[in-house]
Amino acid sequence: MSALAAGLAGDLGGALEAIVGPLNVRRPPPALARRFAAEGAAPGGEPAHLVQPGSPSEVAEILLLAGRTGAAVIPVGNGTRAAPAQRNPGALIGRPRVFVDSRRMCHVLHLDETSLVVHVQAGLTALALERIVAPRGLSLGDFPPQVLGSTIGGLLSVRTPGKSSPRHGFIEEAVLGVSAVLADGRTVHTRVAPRRASGPDLARALCGSEGTLGFLTAAVLRLYRRPEARFLAAHALPSFEDALAAVRLALREEAAPAALRVYDAAEARAHLGDEVCPPGRDEQAILVVATAGPTDLAACDRDLVASAAAAMGGTQLDEKLAEVWWRRRTGQERGSTLPVPMIQVTASPKRQPAVYRAVRVACAGLGVGLRAHASRFEADGAVLFFTLMDGAGQALAGEPLEAARAMTEAAASAAGAVLLGSENHDLDPYARDLRRGLDPKGILNPGL
Amino acid sequence: MGERRLSQRESDLASYGRDMWPRLLIGIRAGELPPDRPHVVVWPESEREVAAIVRVARDLRVPIVPYGGGSGVCGGAVPILGGITVDLKRMNELSSVDRDEMVCDVQAGMNGERFERALNRRGYTLGHFPSSIYCSTVGGWLACRAAGQMSTKYGKIEDRVAGLTVVTGRGDVVHTDGPIRAERGPNWTQLLLGSEGTLGIITSARLRVAPTPELRVLRGFELESVAHGVEAIRRVMQRGLRPAVVRLYDELDTFINHSSILGGKKSARSHGGPADHMFAPVPLPAQGALPHIPPREHAAPAPDGLVGRALGLFGGGDTARRLASRLRREAVSAALSRPRLVNSLATPLAERVSRHGCRLIVGLEGSRIRTGVEASLVFDELERAGATDQGEEPGREWFERRYAVSYKMSPTFRAGLFVDTMEVASTWERLMDLYRAVKHAIAQHAVVMAHFSHAYPEGCSIYFTFVARSEPVRDAQRAYDAIWRDGLAAASRAGGTISHHHGIGMLKGQAMAAEHREAMTLLRGLKATLDPDGILNPGKLGLPASIEPAPPDEVTAP
Repeated sequence: MSALAAGLAGDLGGALEAIVGPLNVRRPPPALARRFAAEGAAPGGEPAHLVQPGSPSEVAEILLLAGRTGAAVIPVGNGTRAAPAQRNPGALIGRPRVFVDSRRMCHVLHLDETSLVVHVQAGLTALALERIVAPRGLSLGDFPPQVLGSTIGGLLSVRTPGKSSPRHGFIEEAVLGVSAVLADGRTVHTRVAPRRASGPDLARALCGSEGTLGFLTAAVLRLYRRPEARFLAAHALPSFEDALAAVRLALREEAAPAALRVYDAAEARAHLGDEVCPPGRDEQAILVVATAGPTDLAACDRDLVASAAAAMGGTQLDEKLAEVWWRRRTGQERGSTLPVPMIQVTASPKRQPAVYRAVRVACAGLGVGLRAHASRFEADGAVLFFTLMDGAGQALAGEPLEAARAMTEAAASAAGAVLLGSENHDLDPYARDLRRGLDPKGILNPGL
Repeated sequence: MGERRLSQRESDLASYGRDMWPRLLIGIRAGELPPDRPHVVVWPESEREVAAIVRVARDLRVPIVPYGGGSGVCGGAVPILGGITVDLKRMNELSSVDRDEMVCDVQAGMNGERFERALNRRGYTLGHFPSSIYCSTVGGWLACRAAGQMSTKYGKIEDRVAGLTVVTGRGDVVHTDGPIRAERGPNWTQLLLGSEGTLGIITSARLRVAPTPELRVLRGFELESVAHGVEAIRRVMQRGLRPAVVRLYDELDTFINHSSILGGKKSARSHGGPADHMFAPVPLPAQGALPHIPPREHAAPAPDGLVGRALGLFGGGDTARRLASRLRREAVSAALSRPRLVNSLATPLAERVSRHGCRLIVGLEGSRIRTGVEASLVFDELERAGATDQGEEPGREWFERRYAVSYKMSPTFRAGLFVDTMEVASTWERLMDLYRAVKHAIAQHAVVMAHFSHAYPEGCSIYFTFVARSEPVRDAQRAYDAIWRDGLAAASRAGGTISHHHGIGMLKGQAMAAEHREAMTLLRGLKATLDPDGILNPGKLGLPASIEPAPPDEVTAP
């Protein structure tokens, strides 16, 4: 029986097997099925299948089948990051769900070592890509290793501000072109060029669309040569605000570090050891920095940061402190098992001190302990990470956490922070219309 | 709007019927009026007024064409269906410069030169220096994804944008990405940049600024050939270095623009070797990177070249100059009627005469310490790649005359010729193939030269300049169309993009299908979403003109 005939006859699983082969269709893990369950669905929910296509043409067949059978297609990658909140879970009611896992499409299609450009399928994880290109002295860039566990498709589909570095910018800026399958089964390849003026950057319609406008199957990405030299340094500053000002000063002097992080005293003690901020220096902040590039330029960047720190009243600390941070950041060493910060907000340079102060004041008012650090600096701002603690220094959880989170997020927002995953209300109606135009049957990720 | 900010005067309608698209200029030079014109021109002063105009036009199904400085070279502002031309030049304020955030808020109609000077007075620069800066607007830059001469450091205009305010084809005022990128969904800023007024009218922007440079370093180098020069630039860019300016001229361009034989200035080498000091003087903050246009009496005379010098033997004065001008015009016109022959002779001649191969201009600017360190690394890398240092003089020369090229267009047309430029780009792997393919395609119809500028770690842009006879006008227009048809087809076949920074307009609309193939579905989807009635700049960007021409009485009724 053909895939379509099986699908129309009600045997969606059989139809999917006809497309991708029986070994590549199975029941989705319960956690995944629950996460994308229809609101108010009966126990057991609608039929759900997890399929692993091996090529864009198989993805196209799956989408065509979904269009004819009314199934909802939900792209999944490596499952490393929390799925975006479902804005419209009602759209899944009564519909079978097909989770399309891209991880079989995991090949490097072309490595252009002259242009330092790689054409890679969307199911390869960024970490695996790093391992492939590393022997050739190449790398995706200075992006935080925590985000590299995602598939390339996952990395590009969800736009969050953490995927950046001061030296290499935001990861979607490394995209020279993408390939995607649209809901009607057509495959599109955006033009690959270093820069263009032939209309809008159409790749940006697909990047960040969370799989609602098309299923990403491949991307052409910029690579960088591994740096000739890397320098690490750590500085103690009188306060968190002074440390943020030092970062701003250094970036203004055009320093382009590979990574920067600012810890407040409590966070520095938790991450780097109690001795880093002796008792009585609870207002102190620690700035750690890595610079990379041609030796003279990396040394220049290190010195620019040191000058900026000194100008803000800072003192240089033992380089070993920065090495501890760097080894943990790059996964060479496991740190203590600290909980993931509960609150993550972004703020532009001017707002960062006010946001930090507002969250501290809010926590003090609630009688809740707080640790914080700022990281992922780029042209437009940085991400501030907050961990809330009880009186015993343990991370808050459950109801107390939810209550404190609501208050602290409100305080951060009032001070000018933007919560991750905010929506542009001006353009939401346009996003919905664009989606309706490209996917009139609502196949692609309809719950979002 | 009131009567004073609305016009149906014949002279206004004729003026707003064109931009600086050379195909139209060929006809205008021959005494023809632009074939298209708006029914009315309006000058709004606020985004509220722009939104009201869009809503009226939508009700009446009348086209709207946004208009900035009119300096576009692709016919992007030509009102092919008539309608309302919305000139944004009265929306021309630099509302704020935020020193902490390093951003400024500027209205779209602000003239480029005034904007840069206003930033300079506050100690900042946008770092965007298109050769049209004296006659283009911020909105025009954004609408066509412009590039400036220092884009290798500062990026193209799309790299400097932190957010836009846009009036859509539904008449809504929308704001894209704020100063931080925390929003879900597609990057609307990048979807509206380059839309050339077909998806929305950009009314203001939040742009990233940089401190005015404390140090500027300029140098000239010579390389054996274009291929050697391209390789040298690639090595610099992929080492993680970011000069502000990189301009590599091919053999013919080097010969014509830099050879002392044709009246170009002498290189530093002829003064006795590279300059002793490495760094140019620090520019005054108020001066920034923009020279003032000299008053007419102080303007430097253009180099006279061989013909002029020969005539000088018969004495100076107006008669000799007029005779020189006429002789030159006739000689050039005769030569350009055989472009293939000229191309086949000129390049080998240029290679032989210039001996040193190709000229490369490199410039760095920025904070004093880092720029100094980076300059040393760039120059070392270039010398390792086989470049010969020519000292500071060639760089200074370029810097002083860098806007002059935009003002050579009129004399060229007066001389019975037309000139135009084609800017394509590709990754390094395909760049020399792209260069050869496009050059060969254009050389069948015109004399062509090129320079490589706007470099990136992964590739570079190539800027072809071509000249041919503009008389008789129909033959010239046929030749013009053939150049673009063949040149763009060659660019697409070689894997390059058809436009790096001039945009599409009417000129390249037919090449959009080859450029984007199935991805045009996305562009059409955006058009249907943001401008459902197709009233915004119809017929541009390769999109169909989906509304009927509006009868004039309907337009003027409100």
